[in-house]
Amino acid sequence: MRRRMGPRWIVFAVAGFVLNFPILSTLMTAFKGPNEVNRNASLWVEAPTLENFATVLTISDRLNVYYYLWNSLSAVLIGAILPMVVAFPLAWPMVRRGYGRSILFPIIVNLRALPLIVFAIPLYMMYATLGLLDTHLGLGLILAIVNLPLTLMLLVNAIADLPIELEEAARMDGARTGGLLIRVVLPLCRPALITTFVFGFITAWNEFLFGLMLTTSEAVPMTVGASLFFATSGGGVQWGVASAVMIVAALPPLLLGLIMYRRITGSMVAGAVKG
Amino acid sequence: MSEIRIENLHKSFGAHEVIRDISLTISEQEICIFVGPSGCGKSTLLRLIAGLEEATSGSIMIGGKDVTHLEPYDRKLSMVFQSYALYPHMNVRDNIAFALHTAKLPKDQIAEKVAEAARILRLEDYLDRRPNALSGGQRLRVAIGRAIVREPAAFLFDEPLSNLDAALRADTRVEIATLHRSLNATSIYVTHDQTEAMTLADRIVVLKDGQIMQTGSPTELYDNPANVFVAQFLGSPKMNILNVQLGENVITIPGHKEIIFPAEAMPQDVQLGVRPEAISLVDPDQGQFTGVVKLNEYHGGSRTVVADIGVENLVTVQVPANQSPHIGEKIRLKCSIENFHIFQTNGQRFLTDSGKFLEAKLSDFDK
Ligand SMILES: Nc1ncnc2c1ncn2[C@@H]1O[C@H](COP(=O)(O)OP(=O)(O)OP(=O)(O)O)[C@@H](O)[C@H]1O
Ligand SMILES: [Mg+2]
Repeated sequence: MRRRMGPRWIVFAVAGFVLNFPILSTLMTAFKGPNEVNRNASLWVEAPTLENFATVLTISDRLNVYYYLWNSLSAVLIGAILPMVVAFPLAWPMVRRGYGRSILFPIIVNLRALPLIVFAIPLYMMYATLGLLDTHLGLGLILAIVNLPLTLMLLVNAIADLPIELEEAARMDGARTGGLLIRVVLPLCRPALITTFVFGFITAWNEFLFGLMLTTSEAVPMTVGASLFFATSGGGVQWGVASAVMIVAALPPLLLGLIMYRRITGSMVAGAVKG
Repeated sequence: MSEIRIENLHKSFGAHEVIRDISLTISEQEICIFVGPSGCGKSTLLRLIAGLEEATSGSIMIGGKDVTHLEPYDRKLSMVFQSYALYPHMNVRDNIAFALHTAKLPKDQIAEKVAEAARILRLEDYLDRRPNALSGGQRLRVAIGRAIVREPAAFLFDEPLSNLDAALRADTRVEIATLHRSLNATSIYVTHDQTEAMTLADRIVVLKDGQIMQTGSPTELYDNPANVFVAQFLGSPKMNILNVQLGENVITIPGHKEIIFPAEAMPQDVQLGVRPEAISLVDPDQGQFTGVVKLNEYHGGSRTVVADIGVENLVTVQVPANQSPHIGEKIRLKCSIENFHIFQTNGQRFLTDSGKFLEAKLSDFDK
């Protein structure tokens, strides 16, 4: 029997609209001219204009959006990839041998529960000594620490879910620990690695506090840079320009999420065991 | 190919002793089958031999070399896992070639060996598929292929057929037997299926609670079980065990007439074992005891009849399919005394003073 799809689509549409209202509102505002912003608060744009985007995307002597994007990207890639590189070789012995399971694992995971601001002052002083202030590496490292707990947790779970027989089979087949990790465990963790990369990227991209604190000119990330667009010419907030810069800043993680979405949910171990 | 020798092997998981003092030698080129009920330690014993578990005490020698403390890869054994454990991210070719890659063989040799294994196992058409696109039987063949390419000292199989349906299981069993004959490899094969054990084995090792109950060829174990456990474990339907009295040259089944059984033994209580196929339905004026039919199962070629012979004793009888007593019918049963197995009340085979199994002296007696 064919079910009636009409009511369902109405529900989906309403839910989609409500959940995405802030984004829609920002998007629409980005297309409004300065006069219209103050006059017309509705979602409808009377006289669409690309003026705001032009302002954002044009390099001025004070603001350079490409530079902020580049700063963010380089720090965020460090912040998303480094924790995987550190966590993978930690996670396997934790799961299979129990090393660090009782002390190291809880410590790292609890990092997540601390308000990050407690790191601010010691970190600032440490970075000043090491010359890491206002560098991509410096910002990337702290983002990596922010991402480490979740990355480790996801990888520990992923490895614990792998059938142990696969590793035993590989050992019977002559693989030593290194070969086992690279040829069997790592490829089977691919979905988890992609998931951690996407989440790590998004978390790091949206990070504001450390970007504000640890950078001044050379490594200012997009989140901090965006705030500089809010009051360009001193005359209060330019809502249209602000909206446009937010849209630009939100695009990279959004695109990444869209591209990777299908891969996050997939599982690798289908067909490994049983019939 | 190598002999495998196990001496006084023990394995405990914490306080739980799973393998208790097992000593065993598996000769070169032999296919040795470990059977026993679930949880008796078959897999654990196999994994100890493989090196996947570490022995608590005792030693394991392969080809004369002590491997007790070696890692699995230094023991040069291949294993087919119950779950097959195929690498899901590799196609069939790479699965089969895995051990050859880790051994860093030249590419052309790898290709040659994989092609040969694929031909033997009829996997040529599937080499580029991933395991999740294969049927259960094909997956098993890939697992076997992965084991044979590396020409190991011995093969270990852990219940390889248990995931297949009945028909495929029978076919694959024959294939494994054929493969074993052509490779002539020392093999250890774990199963809880007595049919697999009987049909495949050169030698069967019956395990219970981590101990060896008996080892021997299928016929030895079937004809001369060392105890009630082995007697009932091998053979289907399982052997009837009755509590009886052994008298002077007679055996008395409670509630029935004495059966003449000339043997050298003191009068005492014993357990009498009789296989269902050794009992037949006879005319009322013949036979040794009477029973009332409780169950009549049709198996196509034969029937299994369960009869109540009184004093809480049930007897299973296997009869030709054309003999079909109805439920509640009184039937007369006969078993020639040469098929009697006599066990002590503790379940061990009854041994005479001269250390032989107790049997009727048929020369004295007209059967
Ligand atoms: N890693 C382990 N830790 C603790 N106990 C274990 C472990 N592995 C096996 N055992 C115990 O050892 C006993 C024997 O297990 P084993 O897997 O060898 O049985 P099995 O004869 O292979 O049974 P099955 O026919 O069900 O596969 C069981 O009681 C089991 O609970
Ligand atoms: Mg088992």
